[in-house]
Amino acid sequence: MSDLKTIVREKLTGGADAFLCLKNEEGTTLPALITDADSPELELVEVGDSRYPLGKILINLLREYPDKRFAVLVRGCDERALIELSKLEQVDLDRLVMVGMACSAEEAAACGCPRPYPGDVALGEKVEAAPGREVIEEVESLAGADRMEWWKKQFSRCIKCYGCRNICPMCFCKDCALEDPHLVEPGVIPPEFPSFHIIRALDMTGRCIDCGLCEEACPADIPLRSLYRKMQDIMEDKLEYRAGESVEEKSPLSFLGTEHDIEKLEQEERHGR
Amino acid sequence: MKKNDKDEIRILAFLCNWCSYAGADLAGVSRFQYPPNVLDVRVMCTGTISPYFVIKAFQEGMDGVLIAGCHIGDCHYLKGNYMTAKRFGVLREALKFLGLEEGRLRLEWVSAAEGEKYADVIRSFTEEVKALGPSPLRKKTTAKAEVGA
Repeated sequence: MSDLKTIVREKLTGGADAFLCLKNEEGTTLPALITDADSPELELVEVGDSRYPLGKILINLLREYPDKRFAVLVRGCDERALIELSKLEQVDLDRLVMVGMACSAEEAAACGCPRPYPGDVALGEKVEAAPGREVIEEVESLAGADRMEWWKKQFSRCIKCYGCRNICPMCFCKDCALEDPHLVEPGVIPPEFPSFHIIRALDMTGRCIDCGLCEEACPADIPLRSLYRKMQDIMEDKLEYRAGESVEEKSPLSFLGTEHDIEKLEQEERHGR
Repeated sequence: MKKNDKDEIRILAFLCNWCSYAGADLAGVSRFQYPPNVLDVRVMCTGTISPYFVIKAFQEGMDGVLIAGCHIGDCHYLKGNYMTAKRFGVLREALKFLGLEEGRLRLEWVSAAEGEKYADVIRSFTEEVKALGPSPLRKKTTAKAEVGA
């Protein structure tokens, strides 16, 4: 797409030291870091219909080059991920220029994204989509014991490939709880219920930005996205927070308490007595 | 509690060092009767209890988990129990969505002066968990465990 090429050149001559986007090399989509406006690689850059957690690469790039500024091509989900990562002190938004692209109507419908466009759209046309709630509704229609059986059946297909974690734009810990032998027994496939998947679901609470890459990557078709989506609903319901929306407001699970929390809890306790 | 009684309900209680553990101690020295189904784990503050610990407790076959700490406003570390309160609501809903009865997880504020309340909490929680029966996550007794017995 010539459009993207123009934007990359513009950003590289206008203050950014490098542009992170995707390229199409002999039919394969790969991440590309363009550092020179005359680079021959520029001919290969493409918007394409593939998604890639570019935020994961950015975390490392920003750390490795602390004095450089980066421009990056973002979809709605990428933008939400970068916002959340900045609050978790993983990326520095001041050193980032986000170039927004809106997902096409087909992409948005296939993905079921809550917001398939970023704040500023430079490429493509904004379309709306509705996140699917079928799985959550199906689970909620089941009673306790059946519900657990349903989940156990889903998780029994897990081959513990760690694909969901590896692709996740929000996973960056050096020591992962999923590899802690006290929490997840090594060498057991499928991983025991409720260890592996519940730990991941809890870690995603107040963090998952609903990009759906986990479910796309899962070779066993486990409905991970619906599980994490429900966690965000719980988070909104209980603590009035949704990941990836505000640049300032941090997840209530990432600090002890504010005046607002304290007043609310004290009131609740007085009523409880 | 008998060691290999399969029908006996087992409850793990996380007690904070400054309030609830002292409350449990007071219940003991005051000789308040309460069921012997509880195993205590003393922690410095309920705010240190990661949701992982609760998951691990259920995974290891506990039938109920109790978290007890200082009343809101009385935390020895000022804000530790606010974190507990926030985490707890989310954790309980998450476990409910996965099919675990919500009655198996309980949060209570018990001060160092509330020995009687501690005994009451254990009584009512044990009853509630007993009514629910053994946890569906309890591991089947393995051959190894039987040999060991």
